[in-house]
Amino acid sequence: MKKLYQFVAPFLALSLVLPVLAGAANHREAPITALDHKADITDVYAFRSYEPGQTDKVTLILCVDPLLEPANGPNYFPFDPDILYEIKVDNNNNAVEDIVFQFRFSTEQRLPNLFQVYAGAGTGITAPANSPPPVPPGTPIVPPQITSFTSIGLGQRQSYRVTMIKGGIATDLSSGLSLFAVPANPGPRTMDYNALFNAGTYSLPNSTRVFAGTTDDAFWIDLGGAFDTLNTSKSPPVLSPAEDAANVNLAADTVSGYAVNSIAIEVPISLLTRTGAVEAATSTAATIGIWATTSRPRLTVRRSPLPAQSSGSFLQVQRMGNPLINELLVGTGYKDRFSMDQPKNDAQFASFFLDPALARVVNALTGGAVAIPTPPRTDLLPVVTYAPPIAAAGTPAGPVADLLRLNTGVAPTIGTSQNRLGLLGGDAAGFPNGRRLFDDVTDVALRLVAGGVLAGPPFSSSPLNTRLGDGVNVNDAPYRTSFPYLANAPSGRGRRHIDPGEPGCTAGFGAACLP
Amino acid sequence: MRQSIVLLFFFTSLFGGQPSPVEQAIIAAQRAIEKDPGQPDGYNALAMALARRARDTADTTYYDRAEAAIKRSLAVSPDNFEALKAQCWIRLGRHEFADALVLAKQLNRRVPDDPAMYGFLVDANAELGNYKEAEEAAQWMLDLSRNGVPGLTRAAYLREIFGDRDGAMELMRMAYTRTHPAEIEDRAWMLVHIGQLFTAGGKLKEAAEVLNEALTLVPDYHYALAALAKVRTAEDAHSEAVKLMRRRYEVAPHPENLFDVAAALHNAGKRAEAMKTFLEFEKLALAESAGWDNANRELISYYADYALKPAKALSIAKLEIARRRDVATIDAYAWALHRSGMHREAREEIKKALAIGAADPNILKHARAIEARDRMAKR
Repeated sequence: MKKLYQFVAPFLALSLVLPVLAGAANHREAPITALDHKADITDVYAFRSYEPGQTDKVTLILCVDPLLEPANGPNYFPFDPDILYEIKVDNNNNAVEDIVFQFRFSTEQRLPNLFQVYAGAGTGITAPANSPPPVPPGTPIVPPQITSFTSIGLGQRQSYRVTMIKGGIATDLSSGLSLFAVPANPGPRTMDYNALFNAGTYSLPNSTRVFAGTTDDAFWIDLGGAFDTLNTSKSPPVLSPAEDAANVNLAADTVSGYAVNSIAIEVPISLLTRTGAVEAATSTAATIGIWATTSRPRLTVRRSPLPAQSSGSFLQVQRMGNPLINELLVGTGYKDRFSMDQPKNDAQFASFFLDPALARVVNALTGGAVAIPTPPRTDLLPVVTYAPPIAAAGTPAGPVADLLRLNTGVAPTIGTSQNRLGLLGGDAAGFPNGRRLFDDVTDVALRLVAGGVLAGPPFSSSPLNTRLGDGVNVNDAPYRTSFPYLANAPSGRGRRHIDPGEPGCTAGFGAACLP
Repeated sequence: MRQSIVLLFFFTSLFGGQPSPVEQAIIAAQRAIEKDPGQPDGYNALAMALARRARDTADTTYYDRAEAAIKRSLAVSPDNFEALKAQCWIRLGRHEFADALVLAKQLNRRVPDDPAMYGFLVDANAELGNYKEAEEAAQWMLDLSRNGVPGLTRAAYLREIFGDRDGAMELMRMAYTRTHPAEIEDRAWMLVHIGQLFTAGGKLKEAAEVLNEALTLVPDYHYALAALAKVRTAEDAHSEAVKLMRRRYEVAPHPENLFDVAAALHNAGKRAEAMKTFLEFEKLALAESAGWDNANRELISYYADYALKPAKALSIAKLEIARRRDVATIDAYAWALHRSGMHREAREEIKKALAIGAADPNILKHARAIEARDRMAKR
């Protein structure tokens, strides 16, 4: 009745003052990630390439660093050399990675005396006739516009290496090439961003292409409305049939005009499937699972006796497979654990997946007008296991795991013919069969959690469920029609964010929005 | 309101004017309860502050008061998480490690992102000798809250157990520099651990320096008095050690602390006084020997090394080893086996302690003695 708890380390004061940071968005999932902006994954995409001539390949895209304001100089937004960026693929249905693509960056400062990291104008500007000494007239002052990675005005230059790990063997895919990351787009005087974008899209051996750089945020959503407790500008979030059919925005895309940092890699399907072949959609070997992670060097309880051995330990800061799983389904008190855990252990979160609180919120906020099925929501199993209609019948289901599942046997849909509602809209090559840039994952996810419209007969008691949506139907910037498909980063000088109440700005596969 | 004024008076009289952060937390919690007695928050804050106060003062009656606060909290809001969290802390404080572990696991499943719960898992598992589980939980703490003080101190503690004293020092220093200066007891606690690491590494001068700093922060701090006494023993300054251990027993009158007084007297050559003190210790320690909160390790050492009653040492050691398999208990058990002439068994046990990584000088001393005796027996 007296002894003291000797080994209790002090924690009370600290744990009590720790801020309670709620997950806020797709662009800010978990409390820890909210504190680590550079490691925050915004989106993961995986789809059969739809560029003509490349359709036997898969494009994998990882976007990080949410809501980058394009005008935010002078340092802009380099990738973090401290972070290990990875895209992982499971090809034998056990939710454990079989193929990993790793990206590591390094930064050089080439203009250490300049006050901003990018500078340039025309063919360069020299000191005028009245330049005070000691700088004589004619001395170069402003470098020429940045048009390539060797331009001298590109003060901050990042290069990266791509490593593939398959069967325990690491292969340097860069094979000696210098791969440069495309910088942010400060504006037309300083940089020909488009020229750098093209130069920064690399073809590598093994029929592989890579890209890394600051791009448009390919995602779109009424973010402010969604997280004002689903107070979307269409409230309740139900579209009319005409609105649903139009590739037009009825509400403001909150992430319009913002940039993210993107990493994209295109590889042959045969490199990813367990058979090493392009499998038919009906093959049980056709469906792969994809997720991405960001990791940092970790402080470990045990030190390795040799420093060289200690350098190998990484702490996973975040992961993402399906969009909106962590941010919309996982409870705030579980988000960090979720972010740091492995997909194969996701059974611990199954209750969030199979009785999503979001469904109940939609049900309650609409006063019951949107009826929801009774849990356990086995209709959602195709999203978190290998099952039809994504995977072929007979595919081993594997454990419940948050992977983006892609049936590589389903032929891609050409850009302009894509349906933003993907699989739910009758476009078999779209989300949740993988995820393309054009897929409206917000609307699809709302419908999935509210309705059982994926597997089995539609949840018929509530037709509204099949027209749920936030009213933002397409991206603000036009996507490329070839790898890496991403749109140009908005320029710092010309950037524009669409405000609530504005009619919106519609591009997707159409024309660019006017600044 | 009157209650908090009385409380304030109590603290100011004890601490020369300034209530410590924990005392202020107790007062604030009392006020919160008066303002809103139907809400659990005030009771929960009070329970946590009282439990912390128990550590500050070595006065375990604070645990009783904390438990009363938890009861009231659970009455107004059944099953509330913060109350159960405080409950878990108190179970640890009462050395009810097995029960604490059960509750910590439950709470961890409820909110897996709460770093405090991993702290409880580390503490309970480490005390029970489940070091793999303790390490896993500590790693989660470090991962969830990089550079967070609670994770750093626990990782430091485990590194020490695993034999990495330098690594433990590194983390404990990191924790110290990240602790707010107003948290004087936290800082003193870390200084004590840094001092103990210095002592174990033979750096007695540095050890005395930081332990005196701890005593400046918290006068008569019981952990610091004991740690400094051990420095003095290592320096053969035995009468100084006796003085410090006596003071520590006055501040924290628990049987195991009386054992330390007796051992110090013995070292100082005051055999008669030591024997008298040992006998008093034996009586007190036996009275609580059956419970979780006991002085059994000291009792084992007393029977094995001073009273020369190895059979009694072994019977207590068997009782304790059935409950927990932490390094110190394994060492005590091995030593009792050795003293009882069971050398082969002793060697098996001490090997387990060494396999964990133990670098504690006393354990190493025991290991050498057991090894030597075992070799002799084989010959």
